[in-house]
Amino acid sequence: MAGGLSPAAALPTEVRTRAARSRSPAVWLLLGPPSLVLTLLFMLPIGLVLVTSITDPRMSLAHYQRIFTVPLYTHVMLNTFVTSLVVTALCLVLGYPVAYVMARRSDWVSTLLLTIVAMSFWTGFLVRTYAWLVILGSKGPVTGAYQALGLGPAPQLLFTSFASTLGMTHILLPYMILALFAVMKKIEPDQLKAAASLGARPRAAFAAVFLPLSLPGVVNGSLLVFVSCLGFFVTPILLGTPRDMMISQLINQQIEELLAWGFASAVAVILLIATGLILVVYNRFAGLDRLWG
Amino acid sequence: MGLSLACLVALFLLLPIVIVVPMSFSTAISFEFPPPGYSLGYYAKFFTSEEWLEPTLNSLVIALGATALTMLLVVPAAFGYVRYRFRGKALVNLLMMAPLIVPHVVSALAYYGFLGRARLTGTHLGVIVAHGVLAVPVAFLVISATLKGFDRNLERAAMSSGAGPLRTFFHVTLPVLRPGMLVGALFAFLSSFNEAVVVIFIGGRGAATLPKKMYESIRLESDPVIAVVSTLLVSAVVLGVLVSAFLRPRGANAA
Repeated sequence: MAGGLSPAAALPTEVRTRAARSRSPAVWLLLGPPSLVLTLLFMLPIGLVLVTSITDPRMSLAHYQRIFTVPLYTHVMLNTFVTSLVVTALCLVLGYPVAYVMARRSDWVSTLLLTIVAMSFWTGFLVRTYAWLVILGSKGPVTGAYQALGLGPAPQLLFTSFASTLGMTHILLPYMILALFAVMKKIEPDQLKAAASLGARPRAAFAAVFLPLSLPGVVNGSLLVFVSCLGFFVTPILLGTPRDMMISQLINQQIEELLAWGFASAVAVILLIATGLILVVYNRFAGLDRLWG
Repeated sequence: MGLSLACLVALFLLLPIVIVVPMSFSTAISFEFPPPGYSLGYYAKFFTSEEWLEPTLNSLVIALGATALTMLLVVPAAFGYVRYRFRGKALVNLLMMAPLIVPHVVSALAYYGFLGRARLTGTHLGVIVAHGVLAVPVAFLVISATLKGFDRNLERAAMSSGAGPLRTFFHVTLPVLRPGMLVGALFAFLSSFNEAVVVIFIGGRGAATLPKKMYESIRLESDPVIAVVSTLLVSAVVLGVLVSAFLRPRGANAA
């Protein structure tokens, strides 16, 4: 993201000895206040959610028991998981060719694609959700095309899990593409040329060389999309249906309609734990820094 | 075949964003596409209605305030983190990244409870605090990456030429790091400006931002003015992307 003027590896050893001054008070002056603020204004509020989930209205684990035994709520958990998997798969299938073309070409096509992806990336969730509301709505172009072709009444598209899956795929696709692209652009074209000079057909060279080298990007992108999808808020509420709720819809409903703080908190804790577990597993195998970097 | 597939997907990304432009000039009283007629009516409505101008102003004020808070936290933290080795470094890193790891809906619920107790829901201060903290990870990533790439020999050269630590900082360190800092601040600003989950929970009436207003407008009234807002936001993005493409012609890192 930021241009390094000199590679860190070239730093003289003297810098390392300087960096090792761990007892210097400066480090506590620099890191103390920000750490304190983040602890008080982030970790504490999150901790309170945890506490609320087992103390509101009274001390018990009843909320958690309900989440895992009442079919309505197990359905929400399962639906969230499945929807996130579907969205991740769709983003991967749609995103891979785009990232591939962006990484393999270095002409205006690549620049144009990157510009479109960046535009989509920076356009707010609500603008894009609104656009799908228009496209899939009862006075929208899809319904219009249906009627123009004389296919009879158009099916209900809006407020279905189809609409919410489509909307989330559209919103998360740029994340997938950028994660794939970040890895793919580092693959040396020479490696593919070497495969070709050894007699590999383009397709074979892709399968044997490019695809395996791009796998870290596939893992990063899929993880990013899957985790974002688990807690996705705006789009499922505006485009989806309460019959096929996702976790964040359940949290919203419990707070907005029922003021059920304890139960909403328990649902949030489960979402937090699920996200945390996925990231811990990823960290084991790849190291979290690779994901942000 | 790969190319045509890529172009189709690019169209899939692009078309929904483009469609809001004709919608904003529509005369229809609901979400109708293609529009039955064209006028500037909804632009007039946007620029004269308190109902939309106030959230627009709120969005800008809150994003600026949040950016200031984020930078106040991140700049010293990034210096301490990158330039020193100390015990618990991994923990500090985890703390700085925590707002990115925790799903926003969980943070939203947490702030709703926490700021509610402090009577700060529905206030600018409350949203600024939440957004300022939530933007810490992205700014921390950018600024610590910039710091890691900084050649400390520049500082040593300044010091050995007789400049004191403060002078060195303001005349050498800061100017070199400025582009990275600006990118970090820009990301923090955009993170707050586009944030749509936490503010829906804690913004209330008093501190509703554009995303919250758009969310409520879709849910409650289907007000076509939302197309105008969307068009203005898309135009801003297009402008931003084009400017950044111009500034960095070889820029492969548009995002």
